[in-house]
Amino acid sequence: MADTEAPPTPMDDTEPVRIEHPVVEFLRMYLRNWAAIAGFLMFMAIVFAALFAPALLQRDPFEMVWMPFSPPGKDGYLLGTDNLGRDLLIAVIYGARATLAVGASAAGITIFIGITIGSLAGYYRGWVDEVLMRITEFFQVLPPLLLAMVLVSLFSPTLPTVAIAIGVVSWTGVARLARAEFMRIRELEFVKAARSIGSRDRRIIWRVILPNALPPLIVNAALTVGVAILFEAALSFLGLSDPNVMSWGKLIGDNRDYLLDAPWTVTMPGVAIFLTVLSVSLIGDGLNDAFNPRLRER
Amino acid sequence: MRKLFTALTCAALSVAVASTAVAEPKRGGTLTFSYRLMAGHFNPAIASGTPTGIPGTQLFAALLRFDDKWNPHPYLAESWNISDDGLTVTVKLRDNAHFHDGHDITSEDVKFSIETYKAQHPFKPMYAPVESIDTPDKLTTVFHLSKPHPAILLAFSSQLGVVIPKHIYGEGDIRKNPRNSQDVVGSGPFKLKEHKPGEYMILERNDDYFMPGLPYVDRIVYKKIVETTSQTIALEKGDVDMTAFAVDPQLLNRLKKNPDLTLTPNGYSAIGPLEWLAFNTKNKPFDDKKVRQAFAYAIDKNFIINVLYGGYAQRSLGPIHPGSVFAPKDVNPYTLDLEKAKSLLDEAGYKPGADGVRIHTTLDYIPGGAAWKRKAEYVKAQLKKIGVDVTIKTSSDFRAWIKTVANHNFDMTLDSVFNWGDPVIGVHRTYQASNIRAGVPWHNTQQYVNPEVDKIMDEAGQELDQEKRKVLYQQMQKIVVDDAPIAYLHTSPYHTIYNNKRIGNPPVNSIWGVCAPWDEVYIK
Repeated sequence: MADTEAPPTPMDDTEPVRIEHPVVEFLRMYLRNWAAIAGFLMFMAIVFAALFAPALLQRDPFEMVWMPFSPPGKDGYLLGTDNLGRDLLIAVIYGARATLAVGASAAGITIFIGITIGSLAGYYRGWVDEVLMRITEFFQVLPPLLLAMVLVSLFSPTLPTVAIAIGVVSWTGVARLARAEFMRIRELEFVKAARSIGSRDRRIIWRVILPNALPPLIVNAALTVGVAILFEAALSFLGLSDPNVMSWGKLIGDNRDYLLDAPWTVTMPGVAIFLTVLSVSLIGDGLNDAFNPRLRER
Repeated sequence: MRKLFTALTCAALSVAVASTAVAEPKRGGTLTFSYRLMAGHFNPAIASGTPTGIPGTQLFAALLRFDDKWNPHPYLAESWNISDDGLTVTVKLRDNAHFHDGHDITSEDVKFSIETYKAQHPFKPMYAPVESIDTPDKLTTVFHLSKPHPAILLAFSSQLGVVIPKHIYGEGDIRKNPRNSQDVVGSGPFKLKEHKPGEYMILERNDDYFMPGLPYVDRIVYKKIVETTSQTIALEKGDVDMTAFAVDPQLLNRLKKNPDLTLTPNGYSAIGPLEWLAFNTKNKPFDDKKVRQAFAYAIDKNFIINVLYGGYAQRSLGPIHPGSVFAPKDVNPYTLDLEKAKSLLDEAGYKPGADGVRIHTTLDYIPGGAAWKRKAEYVKAQLKKIGVDVTIKTSSDFRAWIKTVANHNFDMTLDSVFNWGDPVIGVHRTYQASNIRAGVPWHNTQQYVNPEVDKIMDEAGQELDQEKRKVLYQQMQKIVVDDAPIAYLHTSPYHTIYNNKRIGNPPVNSIWGVCAPWDEVYIK
């Protein structure tokens, strides 16, 4: 870009010519990684299904269309039917919606709580750090699945409660990561400079330190989406799913009793979960590599 | 040659017949029983429920016992008599019966027991007509009733009418008596030897039992096993000889293939467990009979029985269990008919909107495991076919569900209700207008009111002529099924499973099944 003969746009005037815009550099790094591209494309396909399938297919995933336990491919049902005679293909496509919604919102909650607690602890240190880290440790020692089960069964299983429960039990890792980053960055010169010109704490935390602490947190967020999806599946498997919303975990939970007689009823949504979590992990890895300055010069 | 062959066959047959005939009950051995529930105490006079009733009927003898044809037989009572006007019931005790601590059983104990039931037991109508009890001599008890009570003899059987010793339970608050759960003193075939709350108990043969030669088994181990898989494995390995109230179709399918195990649905007709879809008839749209009927037509009961319950449940057509002599005969079976359901909704004025939906409503269900949730999802999907959009509400636990339904905060609920032997005890409560009592579980939660039904039940509730009662209950059920405060689905798929290589005379051949004394059971 720097060597092209096209006239520079007015925006570029102020930029030093030889340095790439960080976003461009990031994209260049990310696109070097084939696995990351594959993960991204796969994830986009799943997101596309989640967003547009209902409008395109116009079907009801709960509709009992045929005999229960019809094997894949037989009688015209590509993935077979489940224990209530629902079309698994339709159910799996529609299930993407709830699964991704839970995964994304749980990850959002995780990141929000984690960054808030971690940044405050890492920035202020002292007794604030002590108190917040003891709270974090308290949540860390609770078995996450058990705590999530208690929360969900206490407030009845609906999509929001499931998402909140997952968020509440999995923010501790993000909090510790954010704290470590904040502790490191707050001692760097540009932060001292910001402080010396009289910036307030709020500005330093949100505008000065946080943008610089983001890369590892973004990687962590991507991986959290995968963990949250697995969590939703685990809760549904244990029967704690919203019976009014089709999700992959719910399909597995509904059909787990028939695992030996009709394995496809559990396998199909299982494969969907596997592919989604795989794609999210590949994206996370790709992000990690792209953000890593040591890999940039290769 | 042919003759010889016939002769040989005959010989073989006669040997087979002889060998089954000589399988005489014998004494000794330990019977291991497992159940997913274990009660905190075993005093049937102050609590209902099978976890109390199963051990309770081993520890405490009742006045009477019933066979599988609903006929009463002597137990603690040697003879009994109901006066012609039905208002006086005289019971004569056998003179050889003692409590486990050696005390004689007297009419004072009988009087004390029934008064305790009347004051403490949740089934209020059971002994409500008993006004006063006289004890003219040591073995004779006379009950004076305010009105004839057709189920009084049944109420003297199994866990509904055990005799508890006055000298043990007569002092202080009986609910707080420590001997409800430790050092229990009854007069049944077995004594409580050891009890670890919530885990296991060991019952030992009562050598002083008043039935001659009984019981056969030396010892019963009652183990609590909650998990279906552990239960299955324990039965397969032979660690457990018997279990009851098994419902899981996967478990039943797997155990059915095992030649050592016998599965039977017998022995549940007195408990009479029914599962149904109940409507809150005070809520829109269920205040309209046509809507309720439409819903009943829309549900495929055969799908629920055959697919969801693996064929182990039985169809039930009305308020009374198919195993009862009063089982409904000539009632509308609401055979699946979606077109009829739609036209009924049209008639009721619920036409489909632009999105095809006629009615938005909610469905609760007993939080009793995967089968209930599946059934709720089935009902939701099925009702969608007639333009009804159902939102399933999941209760966080059993108490939460009870609270919702008992306080009438529901539109529809999947429910399970027991008949408890006689309609007077277990059926009237669901339909009487006078029994709409917010907050109480399993009252007339549908808030169903039909004065004609109340009138018939009042009459049948004090009619002693069994044939006349049969006619009355048929009338009552015809009206109720037509009014459809409830869509009747099926019986609970309860099964007793026992090891046929080990257990002889399993307790499945009476109306009370495992909730009757196991004194004739023996170990082969």
